[in-house]
Amino acid sequence: MKRKLLFTAPLIAVSPLLFSFCGFYVSKADGTLKNKTSQVILVRDGNRTSLTMYNDFKGDTKDFAMVVPVPVLLKKDDIKVVDQSIFQKLNDYSAPRLVEYWDQNPCNSYENENKVSFSRSELSSVVVSGYGTAKRKELGVKIEAKYLVGEYDILILSARESGGLKQWLTGNGYKIPEGAEEVLEPYIKSNLKFFVVKVNETEKKKLNNNFLRPIQISFNSPKFMLPIRLGMANADGDQDLLVYAFTRKGRIECTNYRNAAIATDKNIPLFVQKNFGSFYGNLFTQQWNNENKAISFLEYAWNVTPINQMKCDPCVGNPPTEQDLVQSGVWWLGNKDWSDYSNDDEIETNDKNVHFTRLHFRYNRKSFPQDLMFQVTPNTATFQARYIITHPATGDFNCAAGKKYLQDLKQRRKKELRELTALTGTDLNNWEEIASAKNDEETLASAKYATLLPEVKNESEKEQNFPAGFILFGVALVGSAGIMRWRGIV
Amino acid sequence: MFLQNLFKDARYFQILFQSIFLSYGIFFLHWHKEEWLYATYFISSIATQFLCEYVADNKKSHFTQRIKNGFTSVLISSFGLSLLLKTNEWWVAVLAAVVSIASKYIIRVNSKHIFNPSAVGIVVAVLFTGKAWISPGQWGSSMVLVFAACCLGFIVVTKVQKLTVSVSFFGVFAGLLFIRQIIFLGWPMDFFIQSIGTGSLLLFSFFMITDPKTTPNHAAARIVWCVSIAAISFYLATFKFINGAPIFVLVAAQLFVPLLDYIFKAERFEWLHVKLQVSKNEYSIKPILQKAIK
Repeated sequence: MKRKLLFTAPLIAVSPLLFSFCGFYVSKADGTLKNKTSQVILVRDGNRTSLTMYNDFKGDTKDFAMVVPVPVLLKKDDIKVVDQSIFQKLNDYSAPRLVEYWDQNPCNSYENENKVSFSRSELSSVVVSGYGTAKRKELGVKIEAKYLVGEYDILILSARESGGLKQWLTGNGYKIPEGAEEVLEPYIKSNLKFFVVKVNETEKKKLNNNFLRPIQISFNSPKFMLPIRLGMANADGDQDLLVYAFTRKGRIECTNYRNAAIATDKNIPLFVQKNFGSFYGNLFTQQWNNENKAISFLEYAWNVTPINQMKCDPCVGNPPTEQDLVQSGVWWLGNKDWSDYSNDDEIETNDKNVHFTRLHFRYNRKSFPQDLMFQVTPNTATFQARYIITHPATGDFNCAAGKKYLQDLKQRRKKELRELTALTGTDLNNWEEIASAKNDEETLASAKYATLLPEVKNESEKEQNFPAGFILFGVALVGSAGIMRWRGIV
Repeated sequence: MFLQNLFKDARYFQILFQSIFLSYGIFFLHWHKEEWLYATYFISSIATQFLCEYVADNKKSHFTQRIKNGFTSVLISSFGLSLLLKTNEWWVAVLAAVVSIASKYIIRVNSKHIFNPSAVGIVVAVLFTGKAWISPGQWGSSMVLVFAACCLGFIVVTKVQKLTVSVSFFGVFAGLLFIRQIIFLGWPMDFFIQSIGTGSLLLFSFFMITDPKTTPNHAAARIVWCVSIAAISFYLATFKFINGAPIFVLVAAQLFVPLLDYIFKAERFEWLHVKLQVSKNEYSIKPILQKAIK
């Protein structure tokens, strides 16, 4: 059972895309909502934000309903539907990547090759249902605006008190998740409006497709945040959220939770190749647990300005084109009317820079009591989650350099095995079967993972986890204090 | 002897705690790839300090003496920069360090420097270069306990006037947040705890605003001053969504310190035993000098 851990773990981290956004939805049928990944595109510059929510709803569109808190009263022009494929493009472009290298036999001379492969993501679905038509007024709930955008009927609600809003929503067929109830009152008092969406059947039929397109909303507000609290269905359910962000200046950062970059540039054993998706899933879970869960993981950051040539290295998917960026809501690239854009100075510079950040959250009620707050930083450094496998050289190793190579190869592979254990948190015993089975046939017997595994196990038992760095630092600190004291500096 | 000095001068404790926070960040929160930044802050601060002493002192005093003057405060401001200010450009780091230290020598009223060195370095770097930022998200919530222990220890041990400064700032700021978030908006308690548990805020309230050299001399004026910083920071952070608002407000508020000192007369704070130590070292330096001459 334990041995299969790596390969049976759900493919959550890589990107199974489930529609559950920041809003809540759900209802009559009490659809099972488990372990989902939602995706959003956030575009931010000055005080303007554009937010695009992926819609992965599958099922009878009559049952679709969604509520998103928004800081301002949206006008009809602020709401758009966009092409669904943009999310897949962004995900493919920025997903964690596996890089392959081939060793050269030091006794012959072959060309070095390297090629790149990348993780595949799988789509999974969830059933969401129920949208009633009952209407209640006298509850302090006011319909501020009513729009038809694409295939969606949209209502903008404001409310005076949470009880009324709750009644209104319940009366209209929205079942509010238990944990989400407590946020209605703070939201109302913070003067948030509620963006309520359902599908217009007539419009939907005209479109003649069987999916719902993502909704994009844009507004001006100094508040740069993502409301996740309303979407937290229950206390123990972990939900994954991928944020694709575009700004003009640099990376975005979460300001009210810890930021960390996911482990990257790690050499891992060859046999991971066939299970890269689950490898990354396990790695993410392990790191997430190690970092106490309340954390924002950086998975990718790059300058994707249309004129910038180098948009990835290596590329695992096509970089977003200018059209994709405009589609994602990067308004400073398109020829839009910016009459309501608040920061006039920046337009004049005609700056067409676009910086992309991919953040990965796994949230639950306990670890994430607050909505996600962000800031745009001038940090333009690039980042990617990159893992490296190296194919050993084949042939004879009878020359001196060849023998040395074999020694190095063994050492390297031992290190890879240790790295794999450290990254995914799995026990070395879990690898026995895999290490002997997968694409390692051409390697010399003495350098096979299966041969090295017992050795690594023995070594790791002897090893002590010694915080050498920490102690060194302490000694240096005390030492320098002593020297300064001795020299009379302090 | 060493221990005696350590207990007398709160600044040694400050350095000790700040180095604990920094090593916690490096070894437990994985602030990798940033060691160069910390080194830049420290080296440029020390160099600036040396240079300023050289200019201010008419080249008379000895090398060690020059470094020694204000060395603790250089370390404290370098730690302050390392813990709060992020940048990818080495020149921004150098600029921040130079501004921090030089401000102590250049911007003075009545031979008392106006700005808290690291605060002014941070503000200048963030506002004028556009290449630096404050990263409240570099601390986790697990930091809170470590912090609480250290801050508590700090207060108990030092017993200086700092206590009123920290308590009046942090108390008012947290109090206003509590009223806003819990009482007015009705958020649950953990929402509020998350708000006040950020490392940057705690660092600010216990290690930055507390600098007795840049706070008003008069006790009552000091409290009023801290309370207004807290109130304005609360307003800017809550309604204008400005990150690191307290630091910006602090630098602005320090402009009013000379005025407050003028209106409310009181004895100036001195790091008491520092004088003692200097005089002692003057003796202890002689043998070294003599050796050097021989």
